[in-house]
Parts: sequence; C-alpha cells; structure tokens
Amino acid sequence: MSDTPVIEVDGLTVTYGAFVAVRDLSFGVQRGELYALLGTNGAGKTSTLEVVEGHRRATSGTVRIFGASPQDRRAVRPRTGIMLQESGFSPDLTVRESVGLIGSLSGRRDDIDRVLAIAGLSRKVDTLVSQLSGGEKRRLDFATAVYGGPELVILDEPTTGLDIQSRDALWAAVGRLRDEGSTVVLTTHYLEEAQQRADRIGLMHQGTLRREGTVAELTQTLPSVISFGLPPGAPEPPTVGALNGGFRIETFHLQDDLHRLLVWARDHGVELQQLEAGPTRLDDVFRALDAA
Amino acid sequence: MLAIARSEVTQIVRNRLVLVTGLVIPVAVSGYVVHQHEVFSGLGSLGYVAAIVMFTVLAFGLYTTAVTTMASRRQNLFLKRLRSTAASDASILVGLVAPATVIALVQAVAIMVVLGAVATEPARVPLLALAVLASTAMMVALALATAGLTSSPEHAQVTTLPVSLSVVAVASWVGISGTEQLGLLKRLLPGGSATELVVDAWNGGVPLADSLPLLAPTLGWVVVAAALASRLFRWEPRR
Repeated sequence: MSDTPVIEVDGLTVTYGAFVAVRDLSFGVQRGELYALLGTNGAGKTSTLEVVEGHRRATSGTVRIFGASPQDRRAVRPRTGIMLQESGFSPDLTVRESVGLIGSLSGRRDDIDRVLAIAGLSRKVDTLVSQLSGGEKRRLDFATAVYGGPELVILDEPTTGLDIQSRDALWAAVGRLRDEGSTVVLTTHYLEEAQQRADRIGLMHQGTLRREGTVAELTQTLPSVISFGLPPGAPEPPTVGALNGGFRIETFHLQDDLHRLLVWARDHGVELQQLEAGPTRLDDVFRALDAA
Repeated sequence: MLAIARSEVTQIVRNRLVLVTGLVIPVAVSGYVVHQHEVFSGLGSLGYVAAIVMFTVLAFGLYTTAVTTMASRRQNLFLKRLRSTAASDASILVGLVAPATVIALVQAVAIMVVLGAVATEPARVPLLALAVLASTAMMVALALATAGLTSSPEHAQVTTLPVSLSVVAVASWVGISGTEQLGLLKRLLPGGSATELVVDAWNGGVPLADSLPLLAPTLGWVVVAAALASRLFRWEPRR
C-alpha cells in the first residue's frame, strides 16, 4: 500500500442549525484499504459520508479525495464509485438504461453486460426499475458504483435488503475490486461483515470518532466471553459469574480459561450445556461505547 | 448532458401523465385558439392570439412539466444519483429541462406557423423569434425557482398554478387592453412585455427601436428567477 491517503479528513465538523452532527472528525484511508466507518444511529457517519461523497459541504475542517476537494467532480468522480444508501433511479428506465446513463456520466468506461453480470442482474436487463425488488435495486446501485472499476468505491450500507446469496456475490465482487487495487470505504449495520472484511474500522458515536484501528486492536481492550449452562445438582464451576440463569466467564485468556473449564467439567462428570466461547466481537465494543 | 436529455425523452414517452400534460393539453388548447382565431382576434388582435398560444404552451407544456419533472427526480433521489457522477450541476439541469423546452418550442412554432397559414403571417419573424426565446428562458428560470418550493410531483399541481395562470392572464390583459393605460405595471408583470413584443412582431406598425426595449423586462425576470432558483433549488428532499 502507498502511504498517500486516498481520503484525508481533518477536523471535519458538520452542523444543521444548532445541532452538531459531526464534531472535529479526523481520519485517513490508505490506498488499497477497506475502511469501515461504523456507528450507532445518529452517530454522524451518514453526514460524514455525504461530505466525503461531495453531496454536502463541511461546516468546518477539510476533506480531500485523491488530494482534491470532493466538490471537484471532474477530478474526483471518474476515480470514485458511489453506492448510495437509497436507490435513486428513475422508475421509468430499464436496468440497462439506468446503468448506461450513470455509467456514461461517471467518466469511466465499461461493458454494461459485464457490470450487470457482476451484480447478478443479467436476467433483468430490460426490466423497468419500478418492477425491481428492493434487493435488486441495491444490486443495481452496486452495479453503477463498480462500473469501470473505480479506484475508490464508497459503499453505504451495501447489503441492506440483500439475501445471503446476493451478499456473498457482492462481497466476492468487492474482493475482486480489491485484488485490482481499489480502495473501499464501507458503512454497514451488519457488524460481522465489517469484522470479517475491514482492514481498519472507525467507530463513531455522537458525532465523534471514539475508536479506530484493526479489529484486533479494537477488541483487545475488552475480554472474551465463555458462556454455558449446567444441569441441576452440578457443583459450582470455577471463577464464573451468573447471568440470565446461565454462566458467563469474561477473560483475556480465552484458551487457558476454556481449557480449565473443560478439564473441570470432565473431572466432575458434568456436561456443559449450550457452551459458547469466542473472541470479543465488534458488537461488544459497540455496547461498551454506548454504555460509556 | 445529452445522455441525461436522452433519458428524459425516454421517461416522457413512458409516462402517460407527463405525456398528456406536456404534449396533448397545450396542443389541444392552442389548436382551439387557432381554430377560433377570428373570435379571439376580435377581442385583441392576431398578435394577441399568438401570445396566448405561446404562453399556453410555455406555461402548461414547459413550465409545469419542468417543475413536475424536477420535483419527481428530486423525490426519488434521481437528482442525487446524477450528482454522484462527474456531471456538473449545470449540465444536469440543462439535460433535465432540454427535452421539455425543445418540445414546447416546436409546439409553439408549429402552432404559430398554422396560425400564420390560416390567418395572416407575422410582420417581423426575427422579432417574434426573439420574443419566443426570451419568454422560454423566463419560463425555464421560473420553473427552476418554483421547483425549489415544490416537494413532490403532486405538490407541483398546486405550486405551478400561480405562475402558469398569471402569465396567461397577463398575456390576455395586455393583449386585449394594450399598454396605453398602466403601461409600466403591465410591462413589468411576467409575460406582459413579452406579450406586447409578440403583438408588435405579429401585427407590425411599431418601430423596431420601440419594440426591442420590451425584451428588457422579460430578461429581467430571467435574472430574478435565476437568483431565486440559486437560493431555493434543492437537490435532495428535505429530511
């Protein structure tokens, strides 16, 4: 990866009247990186993304895309594909016409049929947008974003409303784009998608960036969890706290404590019920943020 | 810009409501006026009939259609989608209104040609062309300003009434009563000076030096409406 950031956000503040949606936000996205911007509802990520996309002006602070202002469409847009959170296609145009129109205005070149195949819309080329399902409209949105293989792809909640197969296909396409060197910025409510795919994650809460780093960096501050239940009459297990009628161990030494628990269960002839053990998840980091 | 204009033509053809309001109604009303030109010219003059035809087409075929189109494209986030591309704001707006503008111009010219054929030809065609173009520019600018106040295509049925009815009413007022009395007021109202210009161009008999200054109020409305549009026009629905 090059050291030159594709996106540079420095001291960004966005206000709506007296309401401060984003406050003094700074972060950068490196070339080839998949950066996930996550946050609770109203955290300010949509306002941030709209400034990055050039749809909204910053109240203060600076945002640079490829070193240029996001408002400089001629410089930025031919290198940037944007998948909006909501569809925004004319209901009276067909799928092919929609991709053809947006593609021709993107400043990039591509084969419409190739793009529609990537998005899984090959059978819908002559269907009017008004006749597409919600998931198909999201795929159409994705098709226009990846048209021409842009250097930067901004995906605003790309998998909302998609079935499992469509999600897998979308992530496979994103993977191919990354293999070709594209940088990806993602927002999503599906935290496991960010956990699995993001190189780095920025966590927003109440308009500010509260945490930033790799998944490992974000989760290492919180303990892993082992949870299980016990049959009636079983002896008290070691070092556990009761929770919701079951048992829960919070630990920074998952492997050691899980091993100790399993040895204890074997030695006492106890069958652990509904045993679950795993590393800290982003969900937990989120809950900790919200509770802080 | 051309790609957007092409897609607009496709959408107009596929949308019966726009097709009816944008094409059929202005042509039907104007055709009736042309057919009854002797009755209408009895009220004013043949130039008055031409002005009424022009503003009927521009008000209902261009202005109303343009406002409805932009409100619709904003409501379904199509404008935001277009702004996500490399296209400039100006090229997006021109692409959106160009088809309705061209269709309205073709309609107005065709009906005037028919009027000239069934009655008397205009005395000064270049002056008439100037009047039509200036009036078209005024109605496009007013459409952009009105679109800023219009939240949906349904809302456009209400927000377009004041301007569309006003310009036709002003054209009738000026065309029938002339500008001997309340001349300044009549010329400053939207469509007033343009109507006088059309009457002068069609009927003749007025020196060119006296007619050309009548372009100024219409172009003034273009500037005023464009300034209003720059403040009022929104690319996304209010949240």
